Amino acid sequence: MARIQLNNIQKRWGAIWGVRDVNLDIADEEFVVFLGPSGCGKTTTMRMIAGLEEPSEGEIVMDGEVMNDIDARDRDVAMVFQGYALYPNMTIYENIRFPLRMRGVPKEQHDALIRRAAGLVELVDYLDRKPSALSGGQRQRAALARAIVRQPHAFLMDEPLSNLDAKLRQHMRVQIKHIQRELKITTVYVTHDQIEAMTLADRIVIMDKGAIQQIGTPDEIYNDPANTFVANFIGAPPMNLIAGRMEQGIFTAPGVRVEGLPAKHDGKVTLGVRPEDCAVTAEAGHLTGSVYGVEPTGDMTYLTLKAGDKLIEVKAHRDYRADLNSDASVGFDPKRIYLFDTASGQRLR
Amino acid sequence: MASARKRSRGESLALRYAILGAWALFCLVPVLWFLSIGLRPRTEIITPQPIYFPTFSLDAWHMIWEDWPMGKYLRNSVLAIIGSVIIDLVLAIPAAYSLSRFEYKGRDDIGFYILSTRMMAPAIVAVPIFFLFRNFGLLDTIWALMLIYAAINLSFVTWIIRSYMLDIPKELEDAAKTDGAGELRILWEIIIPAILPGIITASVIAMIFAINEFLFTLLIASTPDAYTMSVALANFTGGSDGVIYNAIALVAFLAFLPVFLVVVLIQKHLSRGLTMGAVKG
Repeated sequence: MARIQLNNIQKRWGAIWGVRDVNLDIADEEFVVFLGPSGCGKTTTMRMIAGLEEPSEGEIVMDGEVMNDIDARDRDVAMVFQGYALYPNMTIYENIRFPLRMRGVPKEQHDALIRRAAGLVELVDYLDRKPSALSGGQRQRAALARAIVRQPHAFLMDEPLSNLDAKLRQHMRVQIKHIQRELKITTVYVTHDQIEAMTLADRIVIMDKGAIQQIGTPDEIYNDPANTFVANFIGAPPMNLIAGRMEQGIFTAPGVRVEGLPAKHDGKVTLGVRPEDCAVTAEAGHLTGSVYGVEPTGDMTYLTLKAGDKLIEVKAHRDYRADLNSDASVGFDPKRIYLFDTASGQRLR
Repeated sequence: MASARKRSRGESLALRYAILGAWALFCLVPVLWFLSIGLRPRTEIITPQPIYFPTFSLDAWHMIWEDWPMGKYLRNSVLAIIGSVIIDLVLAIPAAYSLSRFEYKGRDDIGFYILSTRMMAPAIVAVPIFFLFRNFGLLDTIWALMLIYAAINLSFVTWIIRSYMLDIPKELEDAAKTDGAGELRILWEIIIPAILPGIITASVIAMIFAINEFLFTLLIASTPDAYTMSVALANFTGGSDGVIYNAIALVAFLAFLPVFLVVVLIQKHLSRGLTMGAVKG
């Protein structure tokens, strides 16, 4: 229920930069995910939106109002924390009620709102328990209920699922997305898990070293990476990045030769190709190497080839098998080859 | 194999109980000895021969209540101690909150200064404090005892509470802020309940120090109006009756008993763990 704009946001502690030049316009009701490795500035950016950190420079604007000087408690955002942050001395009922009391919601409305929020996260039967008497998943749902009990301007979620096991994470992911769509509340979500980012986001903001690397829909991020960082960060296994030389539209590297590429990029170039866009071929393909590893997973086989001193990942057919150190050849999907400037890492188009 | 392991576990348990039992006995024997002295006739205590079957006597008991205003001393002690602990908590909790949660210049120096007040010998300030209290007209009052006990204990009460506050996850406060709570509300509704074991621990230690305080009490209290149990003990060592050991022992036991009972009653809270479940785990 709010548009959030970050204008030239910087955050530094003395000589240490936390966030640099962040510009972002989050539309009303949009679900935006900040994705990046630890220390990339994603949580700091979210904390600045919440009002828990002050930006060193720049403006945070919500629905046209500059928020920089407004206290966290007056910003009307609800935050879900990685460690749940449930108040240990209160029951779940009191935990969910806390923001209603703080915001002066009339008492007679409390019970209905609490039960509605608890119902949305399937926690009605646990309202009289203390947080210590709940499992990790239930605590996280309680934290979610506390956030959704009032209709805030925005949800801010800081790695809310990172302490849960894989199965519960998947269940909670679906639940969060469903609730966000149902309540239509602008949501900013921080994670280092690319699956969470890809499945939840309307748009993903990829960050590294305090700066935004790319903003785009999950499809754009996956299919049209802006640089080698994004290409390498998204995808499991990540994109193969092979440093080599380009001359007259022909890319060469140890064990690799690809023809028919744009001739305008001569020089040191890094070629990127995703493991699923590589296919094992009987005849000579774009890459020839020795088999370094074969890992059947049931629905596919991961093949690792060694070309020069570089290891190349290939998603092969589930029946594919090969002897270690035997030669194998791989062809790339020509429409799915990406070129990057080796020095800057930026995409060459 | 399994039975050998079971036997070894049983032996290890027995050994642990034996060590703990021996330690408990070691700690309790002096207290029980005191009690036994307090409940014997005075003549039996100073006799040079060992007495294996002591005579039970309430002489000392009658003496301390009938010949001495022990009830008044006890009341003075309780009032001064409870008052001093309340003053300590009112001052220490906000101080500890500030020292543990806010960033400002000189914060660590202030924290160290507060602790350093505990490092000097109390006798150094005895004379200035006497004159200070005299000028304020507080000599020989319970109020003075409250203030002096509070001043003596304030530094470590602040530090104990501060250390518990440092253990509270910052996320709890951040959550309360985004939920709409102000600083005082966070302190009152979130922090204080979460550090209750710390507050209780600090209070009990402050009570123990206060009940044992002698120097300043003797300095400030000059009549039975402000005498406490610790000073009352000194009353039994002089005078024409000589040292009245059984009365001293009984008063010492009575001074020990309330703190002992308080510790037994709240021992569950003395251990940490209230924040369990607040955060991941």
